[in-house]
Amino acid sequence: MLMHVVNVNKDVMKANNELAHSNKKLLIKNRVFAMNIMGAIGSGKTTLIEEAINALKDRYRIAVIAGDVVAQMDASRFEKLGVKTVAANTGRECHLDAKLVERSMENIDLEDIDILFIENVGNLICPVDYKLGENVRVVVVSVSEGDDTVLKHPMIFRTSDLAIVNKVDISEAVSADPSKMKADIEKLNPSIPILLTSGNDRISIDRWIEYIESYLE
Amino acid sequence: MHEYSLACEIFETVIATADQNKASAVNSITLEIGRLTHVNPDQLLFCLDVLSGDSIAEGAKVNVNFVSPCGECECGYKRDSGVPDNACCDDQQSLYEYALMTCPVCGKLLQLVGGNELIIQTIDIDI
Repeated sequence: MLMHVVNVNKDVMKANNELAHSNKKLLIKNRVFAMNIMGAIGSGKTTLIEEAINALKDRYRIAVIAGDVVAQMDASRFEKLGVKTVAANTGRECHLDAKLVERSMENIDLEDIDILFIENVGNLICPVDYKLGENVRVVVVSVSEGDDTVLKHPMIFRTSDLAIVNKVDISEAVSADPSKMKADIEKLNPSIPILLTSGNDRISIDRWIEYIESYLE
Repeated sequence: MHEYSLACEIFETVIATADQNKASAVNSITLEIGRLTHVNPDQLLFCLDVLSGDSIAEGAKVNVNFVSPCGECECGYKRDSGVPDNACCDDQQSLYEYALMTCPVCGKLLQLVGGNELIIQTIDIDI
């Protein structure tokens, strides 16, 4: 019997990055602007996407990939707004990956789309490691998660392009300080734009929509 | 829990490589894990152990080499994270500490380069 060392040299993470790169090329070819919306369960991702759809659907053609472990609840909320929706059920996974997004995009006519919202699975940890091919990564954190949540999950704030502190209207009720959360985000990523939003404050929601529009022609 | 799916991918690659090389057993697997990767090494090793039961990789020793990110600044300053690459898991800084490493020259946050790997480096097999 012979002992033998075989060089494998395979980066398991790199495989996802390569797929994400090919997703990105496909999106660019079809002139689709894609946003990866990340955040914990209950942070308000679905509502923020709904608000954006309502504000933009008359001027832009929109599709949504709704990531969930199981079920179609979020997908049916988007469908009701009349936009093309694909439910991406991960089964047991804690994040969307580039392969799932590639498969989901096969069900969308990309030539017929201007904006693609990708709602990630509710989690501030795992989505960090998985690029999807998006143009912009958005992290949503709500005050109800506690105002120490930002510093507990540093890498998602380091790797995102926009941070949203949501539900600021209930800060007092949940004893959270949104200005601390904003300062913590700035400490981790001094150049990241930060929006403080609340579903009850139209001006703050308009800023979110203006942010998206700033990327569109 | 993405350790399980990562372990599945590692296990499949290990078995495919072992088969290609007509191996009768896999004695050890050497992995390289970046310190910024959101992977818990203990969970990953547990999943690998469970998956390799009743296969030619059953009982294979898994060696882990950790890779630290390098901090780089716009001003040109560069340094490694100060943690030896192969320091054991307990010696590593928290993600929080890595994320807040600043440049001693200009005080800006250091850009972290590398440390995101999960590499199957080598397998040691019996032929």
